[in-house]
Amino acid sequence: MSGGAVSRSPAHTAVLRLPGGRTLLVQRRTQRANLLLALLLAAAAVMALSLGSTVVAPHDAVTALFGGGDAVTRFLIQALRGPRLLAGILTGTAFAVAGCLMQTLAHNRLATPGIIGIDNGATAFAVASVLGVGIAVAPPAMALVGAATATALAFGLAGGTGTRGYRFIVAGIAIGALFGAVTQLMLARVAIDAANQAYPWTVGTLNARSADAVWVLGAGVAVGLPAALALARTLTVMRLSDFTAQGLGVRVRACRWLSLAVAVLLTALAVAVAGPVGLVGLVGPEIARHLSAPASVPVVGAALAGALVMVLADLAGRLLLAPIEIPVGIVTAVVGGPYLLWILLRASRMTP
Amino acid sequence: MNRPVTDGDSRLQADRLGLAYGRTTIVRELSLALPDGRVTAIVGPNGCGKSTLLAGLARLHPPSGGGVVLDSRDIRDLPTREVARRIALLPQHTVAPEGLTVAELIRFGRHPHQGLMRQWSAEDERVLAESLAVADIEALADRPLDALSGGQRQRAWIAMAIAQQTPLLLLDEPTSALDLGHQLEVFELIRALAASGKTVVMVVHDLVSACRFADHMVAMLDGDVVAEGPPAEVVTPALVRRLYGIECTLIEDPVTGSPMLANPRRPATARS
Repeated sequence: MSGGAVSRSPAHTAVLRLPGGRTLLVQRRTQRANLLLALLLAAAAVMALSLGSTVVAPHDAVTALFGGGDAVTRFLIQALRGPRLLAGILTGTAFAVAGCLMQTLAHNRLATPGIIGIDNGATAFAVASVLGVGIAVAPPAMALVGAATATALAFGLAGGTGTRGYRFIVAGIAIGALFGAVTQLMLARVAIDAANQAYPWTVGTLNARSADAVWVLGAGVAVGLPAALALARTLTVMRLSDFTAQGLGVRVRACRWLSLAVAVLLTALAVAVAGPVGLVGLVGPEIARHLSAPASVPVVGAALAGALVMVLADLAGRLLLAPIEIPVGIVTAVVGGPYLLWILLRASRMTP
Repeated sequence: MNRPVTDGDSRLQADRLGLAYGRTTIVRELSLALPDGRVTAIVGPNGCGKSTLLAGLARLHPPSGGGVVLDSRDIRDLPTREVARRIALLPQHTVAPEGLTVAELIRFGRHPHQGLMRQWSAEDERVLAESLAVADIEALADRPLDALSGGQRQRAWIAMAIAQQTPLLLLDEPTSALDLGHQLEVFELIRALAASGKTVVMVVHDLVSACRFADHMVAMLDGDVVAEGPPAEVVTPALVRRLYGIECTLIEDPVTGSPMLANPRRPATARS
């Protein structure tokens, strides 16, 4: 700088001035990334509505979505592809925002709900509810109980070291494996028809969703996403260190518990809809972080990227081997697995 | 350079403070008043509880007994954000996310003054520019932290603490990783902050620097204060022996007059 104490906002940011002296700080790069992701998501959504066993022209698909066009197309879009698209967007958003929160919380990119075992915990309980093993409660509620149980166990076994460090992750992986085994055991012990009904859940699919579960997830996202946005500001400070963050006036414990609760809620409700498509929770935030400003916690970007990945993976699953449908969980595993390996091989940039 | 402590005003005090990690007691029944507007140096051997005391004073380490009094109130009764508006603490080991720039780091210092709907005010902007100027790192504002030298990085962190705009500034070994030139830069910055009215408390390893740059010295051993007062009065061969187990001769710095250690040696019994 040349001219003395020039008044300046931090680099690469813009200040939004709202009435009443309110100000919001916006990272320009993050804003551009979000715009790009939103456009891509819109394009993917139109594709998801248009493509399938019957191809509908994009314009007709959008018209039908808003109640125009002929009755057959309207049924196809409004009753079949539309709800499935909505479920994809909601689950992708929920998994990715939960992943983003957990990664930031744990200071580790591998600490997503899918790897910590929260997905598997939720799945085991949801499957139990579908099979009628034990008490029969609605799958979302059971999934929530399962997710909370898995998280609590991972915490307990990590021995009070909190969400940081490898003990938590290793404990979580073990819990996930256990719950996965419990799910398989339950499927093996019930009648084949019941097992067939619950099976898609254990792989991850948008085909077997219940409308109720989607509504519950919608409500969960309506609460969880604003909460995550509000927490992001504080979580950004917590990226320094707990000690420093506390010195800057952050109530570290409260912030951590709240973030964890939001992550568990979003994961559980998403699992109740689509099963354990955990890799979206890893890939979504990763894409967002890659595109966004380095200093931020990209909640909006993760939500958009997660929805994008989910919608595209589901679309690929529907189209690739048509008329046979590949469950979305398998598509994300095939794409996400190598991606995970790539992250591991680039281990020098481990901390988010 | 140093100013003697004359009046007894103190906004930050420890009152029979006890600090522990689990069952290991680090600090036991320690009482201390930190003089306002002065630079206080806390010295003592490794593991004597200096850093723990600093964390305890900033409410970052919960007391196991007694308490800390900030502006005549028990510090535990104040909201976290309120404490952060009055006390800034710079830890010895700092970590920043990769790629974070100096200006972004300093921005974090404004956190206790901001809210969800007040993320960047004109005041924040003014303080950011001022903090950069005071720490003399204006040219580095947009550089990533990991691309700076140790001395520059330390000044960026101090600038973050300055941006917090607290009357009290606690620094844990602010110069420990720096070479002599950069140490001087940081100490001079600390003196300038005290001259502008801030109360500075720093943990310092180097006794000579502590003597030269502090108005008030607190010597700690095994979690207890063993001596307190103006450096020239506190530092004696007996204290050096007691703190560090070494013999030395004290001489006066021919220019500044502050105490210096000459011919430090381990006592004959320890050498055998």
